Amino acid sequence: MSEEKQQVSRRQFLNYTLTGVGGFMAAGLLISPIRMAIDPVLKPSSAGEYANVGLAVEDITTEPQRVDWKIDQVDGWYESKVSKSAWVFKDDNDEIMALSPTCTHLGCVVSWEGNDDHPNQFYCPCHDGRYYKDGTNIEGTPPTRPLDLYDHKVENGMLYLGKANVRGEA
Amino acid sequence: MKWNEQDIEKYLSAKEYIDTVIFPLIPFELSQDSTAGKNAFASEVLAIFSSEIEKELTGRVLLIPGYNYLKSTDKEQEVERINNWVNDIKQQPFQHIFFLSFDSTWKKLENTLDGNFLWLPGFQSGDVHSEEMQVLIREQVKQIVELIRSYW
Repeated sequence: MSEEKQQVSRRQFLNYTLTGVGGFMAAGLLISPIRMAIDPVLKPSSAGEYANVGLAVEDITTEPQRVDWKIDQVDGWYESKVSKSAWVFKDDNDEIMALSPTCTHLGCVVSWEGNDDHPNQFYCPCHDGRYYKDGTNIEGTPPTRPLDLYDHKVENGMLYLGKANVRGEA
Repeated sequence: MKWNEQDIEKYLSAKEYIDTVIFPLIPFELSQDSTAGKNAFASEVLAIFSSEIEKELTGRVLLIPGYNYLKSTDKEQEVERINNWVNDIKQQPFQHIFFLSFDSTWKKLENTLDGNFLWLPGFQSGDVHSEEMQVLIREQVKQIVELIRSYW
């Protein structure tokens, strides 16, 4: 009678408990390496991410204005805050344009109407490089291609900028 | 441009466009408890300053590694060594050398330095990462950039 009722023998019970405990221990040991191994997959990619540059769309005029913002960038050894800038304005078709201020010649910072002799143009102080308002380089000045153009989108009336795209030769 | 492989390679291929060297003079002295912090702060701010200037004018200036000197040292001897650096730099087609420093004692030796000495007054201590400091530095950098451009 008692034999029939005893559905779990002592041997079985011990087996179950030991495998159970062992399993938990193994899981405990494995969970961190596994998490580490798949970690890069879980991270959102930061390339092409849009950043709020703190400018309301209604404040964008046809006159280029400079916006500065910061992004986190992991760069080989360092993780750092990188400052970015753009010249933002509305073009003739009322489309928002955000141009990178980096001169395509050797990388100086260009400014809108930076030289009194050349109104309505972007001007690079280093070697007198000039660009039209849409960023196209002016023939006869050092730059060989137009200013880079940022991806942009509008959310809740605020301007978000993404990555800067290289544009072809003028 | 900076003293790293990538930039220097770019420099070597576009030499004729880069005619200006930024030459930071960085103080070091650990022996005096009272001034060590101040000197560390000065070198920190100077590093930020020079890299901000470099950022604005990347295509025409080369920022070289800072020249570290012992604060209490005999400056005339240092001038000799600095001019050796300048002689080496001038093997390349550089037109302008700008020394940057917060240390006013160089001012007296300005004439013996082979280049333009820019003394930046007014940074003793503070939080370099604070908002006000950033505004202050940006304003000053703008003016130094103007000054450098007036030499071109």
